[in-house]
Amino acid sequence: MTETATAPAPARDRDYAEYGLCGFLALTGLVILLDAARLSNNTTGVDPLGPKPVPLLVGGALVVLAVALAVAVARGSRGEAEAGEDIDLHSRADYKTVLLLIGVFIANILLIDLLGWVISGGLLFYGSAIVLGSRHFVRDLVIAAALSLGTFYGFAIGLGVALPAGILQGIL
Amino acid sequence: MTIVVGFTPTAAGRAALLAAAEEATRRQMPVVVVNSSRGDALSDPGFAQPADLDWVRSTLTDAGVSFTVRQEVRGREASEEVLDVLNESNARLCVIGIRQRSAVGKMLLGSNAFRILMGAPCPVLAIKAHADG
Amino acid sequence: MDNLELLLQGFATAATPVNLLLALIGVIVGTAVGVLPGIGPAMTVALLLPILGELEPTSALIMLAGIFYGGMYGGSTTSILLNTPGESSSVVTAIEGNMMARAGRASQALATAALGSFIAGTIGTSLLVLCAPLVTRFAISLGAPEYFAIMLLAFVAVTAVLGASRLRGFISLMLGLTIGLVGLDSVSGQARLTFGIPQLSDGIDVVVVAVGIFALGEALWVAAHLRRRVADVIPVGRPWMGKQDFKRSWKPWLRGTAYGFPFGAVPAGGAEIPTFLSYITEKRLTKHPDEFGKGAIEGVAGPEAANNASAAGTMVPMLSLGLPTNATAAVMLAALVSYGIQPGPLLLQREGELVWALIASLFIGNTLLLILNLPLAPVWAKLLRIPRPYLYAGILFFASMGAYAVNGSSFDLILLLVMGVLGFVMRRFGLPVLPLIIAVILGPRIELQGRRALQLSSGELKGLFGSVNVSTGQFQLSPIAVTVYLIILIVLVWPLLFALIRKALPVKAQEALEVVHEERVHPQHADDVSVEPPADPEAREKSRQ
Repeated sequence: MTETATAPAPARDRDYAEYGLCGFLALTGLVILLDAARLSNNTTGVDPLGPKPVPLLVGGALVVLAVALAVAVARGSRGEAEAGEDIDLHSRADYKTVLLLIGVFIANILLIDLLGWVISGGLLFYGSAIVLGSRHFVRDLVIAAALSLGTFYGFAIGLGVALPAGILQGIL
Repeated sequence: MTIVVGFTPTAAGRAALLAAAEEATRRQMPVVVVNSSRGDALSDPGFAQPADLDWVRSTLTDAGVSFTVRQEVRGREASEEVLDVLNESNARLCVIGIRQRSAVGKMLLGSNAFRILMGAPCPVLAIKAHADG
Repeated sequence: MDNLELLLQGFATAATPVNLLLALIGVIVGTAVGVLPGIGPAMTVALLLPILGELEPTSALIMLAGIFYGGMYGGSTTSILLNTPGESSSVVTAIEGNMMARAGRASQALATAALGSFIAGTIGTSLLVLCAPLVTRFAISLGAPEYFAIMLLAFVAVTAVLGASRLRGFISLMLGLTIGLVGLDSVSGQARLTFGIPQLSDGIDVVVVAVGIFALGEALWVAAHLRRRVADVIPVGRPWMGKQDFKRSWKPWLRGTAYGFPFGAVPAGGAEIPTFLSYITEKRLTKHPDEFGKGAIEGVAGPEAANNASAAGTMVPMLSLGLPTNATAAVMLAALVSYGIQPGPLLLQREGELVWALIASLFIGNTLLLILNLPLAPVWAKLLRIPRPYLYAGILFFASMGAYAVNGSSFDLILLLVMGVLGFVMRRFGLPVLPLIIAVILGPRIELQGRRALQLSSGELKGLFGSVNVSTGQFQLSPIAVTVYLIILIVLVWPLLFALIRKALPVKAQEALEVVHEERVHPQHADDVSVEPPADPEAREKSRQ
């Protein structure tokens, strides 16, 4: 029959990482305030408010909220990490995989203009699949190539979407 | 001393289980039933559902054989799981099911079956599914 | 009624071969996406946004709407066959639907879900035809102050009502506004938050934000917590149902529609509450109470209808006011913006052809879904065999492709990564995603309206509460603006009110309210509804490692 509510993600008395979040929010708020301060607020008849107020408001709000959150965290508030069908919150977070994925992503950013979408995107798919655990090395390569060629021909050439050809310019 | 059978809810898997039950009765040994999935996909036809496991249990109970069922989902290939159990449990015999393959496929065994054959520390009994399933 | 005429014209546009094909593609993609774990219609729409830039706005929207509706169908298929709700709005369907499937009545469950969705969708879309022009007519009478107030209400409603923590909702909102601030100020032309980077002067494209937060963020988050889980899939043949089933289903269908549509049309109403209410109602009203919990068909018919009616209801504020009430609607509005079309009350007037073609296409899409899903249900189940590494690698692939294609620049990929990491962080700390997206889309507009309202009153703050009557030259308080501000206040102090009201109610009503409130606060508990198959404890333990 239906299970009663499963326990939420492992409860820590205080999630110290949340203070990091507060710090980030406060920092962002300050950056916005500083950036807004250097704006010249020429108000005109057409624009009585000027470009300054909203950034000041948002920046200020972020700082206030950061403090409020810090207080809340100190009193035990815990952000509920988002659950989902593919999510298993009961085990430790696997940051290695995430960092590897980000690495593969950055590789794509660096290579895409040089090597073109077909190669770079294909590598992105292949790398990601492997990082995520797939072990069919040859099959994945084939799928990656098919996807990148398919999307290039279909979208870039077919629909005119802007995708770089890179090194393969002229061959495709 | 045990008999290890790699089970899947397919005709070949069921045939393997029946053969394992027969062997276990003959040799008077307990059976370890192994089923697994990498768990990569939400739906895996090789993964034994509760109904399949019920069938396994009732079949083995009817045969008067003692048994344990092991089902793992931890990102490893079926062959790895079976080989692990073979090594751990002092197996005397490994029973696996192999399925009918096309004319070309007949030249190649499934990769799992192949790896088990090559890596098993004991004799391996490969059972083909009956023609009528 | 000339609405009918316009609708017929809309059908003419929607029925062109290209648009029909796109509707079909949209509906298929939507169902597939609803079936697949981890991907939802909102993410899919976000991923497709850059590619759609090449299509006509009408055609693109038709496809997106198809995806939206399709997602609902797909979600219910997995709920029934797998006990894994594809969408949070299908959670309730899983309760009875999966039980029916285990009892061998999967076909009937699927049939009632499909038919109920079709009927609810059709009725809902018809109501949309009636309501949208009415709301628009009312909306056109709005001036800048009223419009400002309403947008503020949308902000507050989404932030303060959804989710467990309003504090985090507001943080999310502020982060969204921050992203919206980046770029040149539209009125004065000054650069804000660009830090001297020229590519930032156009601001951060909504598409990049949407794809980053929804798609990339989700993929990264899942990568950190990948769950290896094989679900118990119940094989099924063609959906069909007998006369008895039909007799028991038709009233729940209608009741469900009645619940779903209003909730969908209200900001932050959502689809979870009406499905839940429908379930409770059907449980109370059924002539077969003993079947509930074991597979009662009313428990599938009602909630599924509520689900789809809510989706239709979402279209009302989206098309008539330009207010998104859920993530998918938000992204669809982003699509409109990327075409240079201003969403808002004038949408119906200025782009009438587009809107009516879209509405006509909703009818068509609904019908297509019914036709498709009856024979294709077993096929969808096979989709679930795709291993997750491919799914998520695919998401990364399409996300990158899309983000690059927006401007043909790899700089957007850097922004995409930043947004992706932000999405990850938000999911880690329980910051809700919807307020952020709505803030990014509505933020610049709300600032503009606010400044315009103040301009009309020459800078005096009361300009937000009313306007100068053109003929008398006197300042007049706007009743609409004032009412909306009052509503905002009520929404903000709601928790206090709620606590007070609860104490005054009799016990039974209190309990019901508790349940609804819980569902409201924790709508995503797919885990909790999941029925673990009664496997032997050993195997269960082992598979939990």
